[in-house]
Amino acid sequence: MTSVLRQALLIAVKDLRIESRSRQTLGLVVVLGILIVTVLGLGLGSQHMSGSAATAVLWVAYLFSGVLCFEKTMTVERQDGAMAGLLLAPLDRGVIYLGKLLSNLALMLAVAAVITPVGVLFFGFDLSAAPLAFFAILGMSMLGFAAVGTLFAAVVSSSRLQGGLLAMVVFPITLPLVIASTQLTARLSQEGQSWNGSAFAVLLAFDVIFLVASWLAFEWVIEP
Amino acid sequence: MATLTAQTGAAPTTESSAAVYTVALEKWIDDRVILQGITLSIARGQYIGLLGANGAGKSTLLKILATLTAPSGGRLMLFGRNIGRDAGASRRRIGLIGHQSMLYRDLSAFENLEFFGRLYGVGDPAARADELLRAVELADRADDPVKSLSRGMTQRVAIARALVHDPDLILADEPFDGLDAPSSRSLERLLSQLHEGGKTIILANHHIEQSLRLTERAIVLRGGRVVIDSDSRRLTSAAVLKEMERG
Repeated sequence: MTSVLRQALLIAVKDLRIESRSRQTLGLVVVLGILIVTVLGLGLGSQHMSGSAATAVLWVAYLFSGVLCFEKTMTVERQDGAMAGLLLAPLDRGVIYLGKLLSNLALMLAVAAVITPVGVLFFGFDLSAAPLAFFAILGMSMLGFAAVGTLFAAVVSSSRLQGGLLAMVVFPITLPLVIASTQLTARLSQEGQSWNGSAFAVLLAFDVIFLVASWLAFEWVIEP
Repeated sequence: MATLTAQTGAAPTTESSAAVYTVALEKWIDDRVILQGITLSIARGQYIGLLGANGAGKSTLLKILATLTAPSGGRLMLFGRNIGRDAGASRRRIGLIGHQSMLYRDLSAFENLEFFGRLYGVGDPAARADELLRAVELADRADDPVKSLSRGMTQRVAIARALVHDPDLILADEPFDGLDAPSSRSLERLLSQLHEGGKTIILANHHIEQSLRLTERAIVLRGGRVVIDSDSRRLTSAAVLKEMERG
């Protein structure tokens, strides 16, 4: 297990190092996320927006930003056949998945760290009652989103059908996650409590199912 | 079809002693035959030249031997081990130099080699990266991003990447492409040194004369089949070319 984690971290750190060199993706993604929050907020009237609607706007920003991150980290592997270099290494293919997942998660959390405060200020969220619960919900949601996005970014990059395909595949699949996360965050913002048993169960089940299934499926979908 | 039989002079090899042992290997893609009936036994330490026209199946055969692509049929053994879905242990013994560099262009040459060294569990990856960069005469460009290197330099780093874990079997797919004459000679010397050090080398190359000069056994593919498997010294470029063009 230690070896698996060490190798996955190695791949994730490599991805983040490459991103830190170019800084193109993160900058672009953050700007896109802020634009989405601002435009939708102004268009829908941020002062009169319900907690659920405001959280949904935040999720629109997360979804589009996330898809760009997933595409970027997989594009790095497709340039100059680098994925073949990884596949030649004596690694379980699941380790490559885990490494890509960790780098995507780190990028997504970095993006959320900028977009979320903008949303909180814009929509007047009151998270002071349970800030830790909010971070827990956000972390669990991002994990599930990155689990799905990492797998399908690999699928799409292995196919000749690229362009907007990743968004078209990932958005519908993550719908249960987005609904559950929105319900939990809205409840937290409006009533100061996060506990909603069914929504929490959906979030947890989504994470577990897609983490395990993606780990197992990655070997079958990835091609050099 | 004229097939020259193997007369390599090498010691007879068995399934378990061969570096590469294939029986009736096949590869089909969308009902198109890429490889058919490839039966080979390559002894440890042999230097093989893999020849054939474009589309003959050289790259596909190398990808199968590198465990990057699964064959559609037949049997493959590397160093006495059957290659099924779990090819992890065998990959540690394979180094592939491909058409593409398999490097990260935003990382430096040193960072690339160190990364792959760590991935393969090399004892001291930084020292190994330094050693290899000296061997390919790029020590002075170690910290430059790969994207700033010329095609020839990138190819030399790619060769170093393939050797970072000191593999026993080196698969080289057109490694001389894009290299200038001095770099080409330098790579010839490096491959010869590796061969003298006991490594098994399979060199896919479209320069017939160069292949026959460098290697000890030539395997020629045409239409996905082996049409010549012979001692390189017994062959002439004209004979190989004639066989490649036949049909």
